[in-house]
Amino acid sequence: MPKNSSVKMSNGDCMASTDTTIRLVVCDAGPLIHLDELACLDLLSSFAVVLIPDTVWEEVLYHRPQAIDASQTWAKRVTPTRVLPPDLEATTRLFSLHAGEIQAINIAQECQADLLLTDDTAARLAAASAGIQVRGTLGILLRAIQHQQKTADEVLAILRSIPIQSTLHIRASLLQEVTEQVQAFHRT
Amino acid sequence: MNMPIQANLPENLLMKAQQLVQAGWVSNLDDLLADALRRYLESHSEELAEKFIREDVQWGLYGKH
Repeated sequence: MPKNSSVKMSNGDCMASTDTTIRLVVCDAGPLIHLDELACLDLLSSFAVVLIPDTVWEEVLYHRPQAIDASQTWAKRVTPTRVLPPDLEATTRLFSLHAGEIQAINIAQECQADLLLTDDTAARLAAASAGIQVRGTLGILLRAIQHQQKTADEVLAILRSIPIQSTLHIRASLLQEVTEQVQAFHRT
Repeated sequence: MNMPIQANLPENLLMKAQQLVQAGWVSNLDDLLADALRRYLESHSEELAEKFIREDVQWGLYGKH
């Protein structure tokens, strides 16, 4: 989603983002926790700006404090500077979203983020209906091959470890399907 | 076939629902609750979650990012 955007940071500074690639990313709790469980949280450091909303920060700090520790150097904790617009409020209520998801969508829209990361289905629906590009943990994991952060073999090993090492829910047959797609990609 | 259920709901939530029924937005409370439950189940469905995972795979492997 190429665009010119201005990023408001928690300290009031603004950061210009004019690249055609994905630069500004807002994170919900799921991908932070899941990527950390898979020892892959550093994959997010390849984005120019990674924002973690206040509520998400607290949620991750409670459930997976080491993920917050590990993200401190490249992620910024942010508070929304605007009240949730009525249309977005209605959408988030319609999808029964939690506080962290609501704040993440609000910040992503407010900052014109290039990408919102969440593994929650309802949050993805709500964000997409608000015009925000959304991806989840697996997208970031597989993107790592193209960006040469991980080899295909490394990603395959991580995929195999998901059921035992992570709380990310993915049906075994679907995980197998994903694995086969990565293998096919690797062969080409 | 409809099944009766018993549920404890927050009073203000129930009042708002009843106001919608009285205003004619929905024919009765049963329909409203069924619709709300249907929407919740649709937006949290496993099929949808798997569709998103497949989209992520395509984006991750072949997308421009």
